[in-house]
Amino acid sequence: MSDFDTDNGTTRDDLVQRIALMEAMIAEGRQYTGRNSWIFVVWGVVDLIAISWQYYFRHFGGRWAWPICLFVGVILTFGGKMLQRRGQGYSKNDECARVMSVWGMMGLALGIYVASGILTHFDWQYSYMAAILMMIGMAHAISAMILHWRMQGLAAAIYWAGGVAILAFNSGKATTAIWLFEMGIVMIVFGLYATRVEPNHSRATGVRA
Amino acid sequence: MPELPELDPVIHGKLRLAILSLLVGVQEADFIWLRDKTGSTDGNLGAQMLKLEEAGYVAMEKRFAGRKPQTSYRMTPAGRDALAAYVTALKSLLGGAF
Repeated sequence: MSDFDTDNGTTRDDLVQRIALMEAMIAEGRQYTGRNSWIFVVWGVVDLIAISWQYYFRHFGGRWAWPICLFVGVILTFGGKMLQRRGQGYSKNDECARVMSVWGMMGLALGIYVASGILTHFDWQYSYMAAILMMIGMAHAISAMILHWRMQGLAAAIYWAGGVAILAFNSGKATTAIWLFEMGIVMIVFGLYATRVEPNHSRATGVRA
Repeated sequence: MPELPELDPVIHGKLRLAILSLLVGVQEADFIWLRDKTGSTDGNLGAQMLKLEEAGYVAMEKRFAGRKPQTSYRMTPAGRDALAAYVTALKSLLGGAF
């Protein structure tokens, strides 16, 4: 029940609603990862296909599994971003630019690192694979700190734990299992989780004048 | 009894408050983004943006993104001050609850 009315008839409940509306809209304007989290799902699927191809269908050109899948992943990412920009509105802010920079440079570093590994045939080494997980974990950790997002911090910890586990177990079977889990399952689950956060939030905040 | 502070009528409208709250968290945003985030119609959003512009709370810029025209908005320093004053007035009206 309202315990006061302002001159224009605004009640306490109206004011509380205004506060809630402001909080919801400020949070809405700061949703970035959800907007781009489909990329995690794409790369999770790409990685799963590449790993399965390399280990379980190696007689069907298994040597080309990673180069082909990575190329397809890059095409899908850039194509998807272009389609996304066409259909959606545009906003720009510092936090978004920082997060985009982190992931963009991580992607570039990873691309150079993976290409070098393939070309020099060092890509089978456990430390090489552990380093990739550590790099992805680092990008998640920086992004989590910028966005103050605990879930992403947890994702970073999982990737780092995976990198340490590869080095600790130092075996082919363990590395394959960890790699499948981290690069496939964790990436897809995190991507789907982040994708769900933004639409659910958006649906709850329709506003009329 | 202390006098209740007045709420800025330009900001107090729900859609205008939503727009300013969205813009306070970003450097700039285009019309489509604001429309999607607020769930408003083109006509309603356009009318409210005009009121905010006339009050000097937002600045509009028209440009081309490729071949497509793009209308982007950003909050002005006057808009930030007005929103801050509005929040202060709200807190004052609601007492110690916030």
